[in-house]
Amino acid sequence: MPTETEDKESVSWQSDSGVSADVTRGERLSEFFEERVRKPAIVAWADRRTRIGLVILAFYIGMAVVAVFDLYRAPSTNQAPQLIGPFESWAYPLGTTMSGVDLLSLIIHSTPDILLMIIAGGVWATAIAVLVGTLAGYKGGMVDRVLMSISDVVMAIPGLPLVIILAVTFNPKNPIVLGILINISYWAGLGRSLRSQVLTIREDSYVEASRTMGVGTPRIILKDIIPNLMPYVTVNFVFAARYVVFASIGLFFLGVLPYSVQNWGVTLNYAYSGGALLTWEAAHWLLFPMIAIMGLSLALILLGQGMDRVFNPRVRTRLAESSESTRATDDTTEGY
Amino acid sequence: MGHYYLRRTARVFVTIWLVASLSFGLIRLLPGGPFTLLRANLLRQGVPASEVDARIANLQNIRPNAPLWEQYFDYMFAAAQGNLGTSISLDEPVSQVIAEAVPWTVFIVLVSTILIFVFGILLGAIQAYWEGSRFDQLVSGVSITLMSVPFYVVAVLALFVFAYQFGWFPPAGTIGPTVEPGLTPEFVLSALKHAVLPIFSYTITGIGGQALAMRGNSIQVLGNDYVEVARLRGLSDRRIATRYVARNAILPLYTGFLLLLGFRLGGTVILEQIFSYPGLGYYMWSALESNDYPLMMGTFLVITIALVIGVYIADLTYGIIDPRISRGETDAY
Amino acid sequence: MTTTSDQLHRPRDGVSDPILEVKNAKVTYDGGETYVLDNVTFSIERNEILGVVGESGSGKSMLASALLDAIPAPGHLSGEVLYHPDQNTTVDVLEFTDSELMEYRWAEVSMVFQGAMSSFNPTMKVGAHFKDTLKAHNRVVPEGLDFARELLSDLYLDPERVLDSYPHELSGGMQQRALIALSLLLEPEVLVMDEPTAALDLLMQRSILLLLEEIKEKYDVTMVFITHDLPLVASLADRMAVMYAFELVEAGPRDQIIGDSGHPYTRALLNSTPNIDAPLEDMQPIPGKSPAPVNVPAGCSYADRCPLATDTCRQDDPVFEDIGDGHIVACHHWQQATEEIELTFNQDEGGESVEGELR
Repeated sequence: MPTETEDKESVSWQSDSGVSADVTRGERLSEFFEERVRKPAIVAWADRRTRIGLVILAFYIGMAVVAVFDLYRAPSTNQAPQLIGPFESWAYPLGTTMSGVDLLSLIIHSTPDILLMIIAGGVWATAIAVLVGTLAGYKGGMVDRVLMSISDVVMAIPGLPLVIILAVTFNPKNPIVLGILINISYWAGLGRSLRSQVLTIREDSYVEASRTMGVGTPRIILKDIIPNLMPYVTVNFVFAARYVVFASIGLFFLGVLPYSVQNWGVTLNYAYSGGALLTWEAAHWLLFPMIAIMGLSLALILLGQGMDRVFNPRVRTRLAESSESTRATDDTTEGY
Repeated sequence: MGHYYLRRTARVFVTIWLVASLSFGLIRLLPGGPFTLLRANLLRQGVPASEVDARIANLQNIRPNAPLWEQYFDYMFAAAQGNLGTSISLDEPVSQVIAEAVPWTVFIVLVSTILIFVFGILLGAIQAYWEGSRFDQLVSGVSITLMSVPFYVVAVLALFVFAYQFGWFPPAGTIGPTVEPGLTPEFVLSALKHAVLPIFSYTITGIGGQALAMRGNSIQVLGNDYVEVARLRGLSDRRIATRYVARNAILPLYTGFLLLLGFRLGGTVILEQIFSYPGLGYYMWSALESNDYPLMMGTFLVITIALVIGVYIADLTYGIIDPRISRGETDAY
Repeated sequence: MTTTSDQLHRPRDGVSDPILEVKNAKVTYDGGETYVLDNVTFSIERNEILGVVGESGSGKSMLASALLDAIPAPGHLSGEVLYHPDQNTTVDVLEFTDSELMEYRWAEVSMVFQGAMSSFNPTMKVGAHFKDTLKAHNRVVPEGLDFARELLSDLYLDPERVLDSYPHELSGGMQQRALIALSLLLEPEVLVMDEPTAALDLLMQRSILLLLEEIKEKYDVTMVFITHDLPLVASLADRMAVMYAFELVEAGPRDQIIGDSGHPYTRALLNSTPNIDAPLEDMQPIPGKSPAPVNVPAGCSYADRCPLATDTCRQDDPVFEDIGDGHIVACHHWQQATEEIELTFNQDEGGESVEGELR
């Protein structure tokens, strides 16, 4: 596979020896930045999906900022006439609910907590997965067996019902706790696939070299293994975040999660139980929170897919080196 | 080889046992504990205070005043015999409620999952075949859009449009009120009519992701040397498409199938609630609302068992379709 | 291309009874902007073993695919590939219809790819690959399988076991041999091998080479052995061709190429080749790197790395010159090269001893 951008000088195979040892820390850092931040960022931005995803996400962050700094009125009952349709009045662009709440303010003021929740859920799921995956994959043996047995059991518990029971039991109100709760078992599947990646990486020659040089396990995990997992982890962070959007709003909608938290799902629930299903006049009450949900998850999916393309070496080569065909320079250099 | 199957089967029981223990533990954490409501109910019905505990023990197989470990053993033994206690809100044995609910949930989940797979694989394969074409771009766009729609949004919309506005499909229940259960055309028709919207909501939101996955896998497989070699060997396009590309592209999806199954089984709590479709999820939710802990734990346990068995079956069959999986490894998930 | 330069590019390479002739073969990508095979002309003598040597990215895999008219899309192959089933018949492979091409590939000219593991469908038994091939070519399956068993035994494999195994159940060397058997299944006239031993250990490489010689004798098959490993192929080939930057730069009888190479690149390649007996200081890496397909320079493409390069080299593409005994070389300064670039690996001995050492 042509993962390298330049041709290897396969004939002069000795030529690159003796260079690697004396690079300075600064050079390494700037190379790290170049290879892991700048280049992927350029390729990512070149991908239309990532671009659209980022723009949509920026829009939601903008909404959150508006809400946090109180730039738009907070929702309250009877702040407006009941059930104004969308785009009828400029004072209430998205219309109002049955109890006379401005729908736009409901949607805007739900955003900060939702963003906080999905970030918490994403961080929790990926952090635990990385911890479990690297430990199990790198340590192997007993640690591996125990960790994998645990994740097998966790994977066997259907996520949503467990979350529902936990939500009813603990009745959490803090969005960060909620995010963690919703992704309480998400790490299991991810940890498993990270483990198999770690198994591959640890066989790579540079990891083996570190081991032979007597580098300690934590350092190898931190310096050699985790950086190589980052692409995969980043993509899955986005997908974990999307799962939080889906599940949390679904649970708010069901009424499992506390109504005191402002959330599009709560709005949806009020609309649903307030009879918006039965008449076209209240359809916007149902529709706009739905659009808000779909927009956010669309942004996350586009972002995840775009990043997946960036980090997938096969696709990346195709993107970056469109002039060189895959096959043209594809002679294996293995023998040398 | 036999060793693997033995171990894999043992794991099913261990998992179920662990989940049962977990649900027993969770009951104790629930607000008010497991018996408060039941005790109040019984007292209201005029049961003398002195007999209440005995009645509870009789109904729920647990003696409220016994030490915790005894309660645990009583609960586990009864559960192992299929006795999950008596529903407080429905006043029926939990196992009976569940036995009536299970077929409907399995029906919805299985049919939608199969539809997702069939259509997702077909679409993805065609996309990969015509990679970069208009069709490919269009389907990719639609797939991504569908992936970003939660199934309950489609469910609510479908209910709104097709049930309430147009009245094409019934908004609630599993069969019409006048239909007698049995293998009659009326029954089947009525059951299908009631299941169309739930299945539709599940399927339409799942196809996109599956198609994209199949598309990606197929494109990857198409780049493999063995496809090119097969072409050089003179094999027909049809043979290459089915035996060399499709099969190798579908295999990785099979594992995803397990996760989907769990996701879908869990999702019934929301789905069946929206359509008032009395399956496992529906009862779990109604048990939750009425603090009916025996029913809640029973449904939770059974949903888990359904998932564990589904995974188990998929796991065992995976070895048959993918020869590379060595049965000695524990990595079969 | 004018007729004159066509003729200039046609080497007098001493082939009297060619089975395959490649004339002015070019493979272009991006609508002709990028060359990955640049005007290559050469021929393959019936029943010889031709070794094609070149470093990674020199276009040698393209050359292999060109022989079967199997350039992966979106590459475009132009020029002529002439096939002579016998001395008096000539067919142009690039003019074939689809069904003719299908019958030509594998039945007339067959190919072994690099990396046997990736050449087998991982979810199909090895035997099924044989059956599929036979069915696709309308052969009688039981008879074909009998022949397959014979081939496998000739390659020192247990036929029943191999046919009934999945690819991953076989070792790398076994897979490679099974793949060679698969490529010989339809009794082709020519077998093209692209790095057939690259992923194998040294011992396995050697034993496969010995097997190939036996196979060649028994089945009268012409072999084209493409590799980056010069000493490896030197022990096997009758004639050799050297590729650099998508072009052919030198061709001729094996001993001439090894002992009396005329192209500075070939000489540098020989000197850079690790030799078990050679002292380390004698091995000389070639400075610089080979050009990417987009910017092949005008003139000789090796000029940038060549110690003998002059302005002539940078301006004029060298044409092939016959320097005796069917030994042709594309270099303005081949005489100077033979005099000034010392071959460090065998100062006093001839080519034969190289072969001896390698065996």
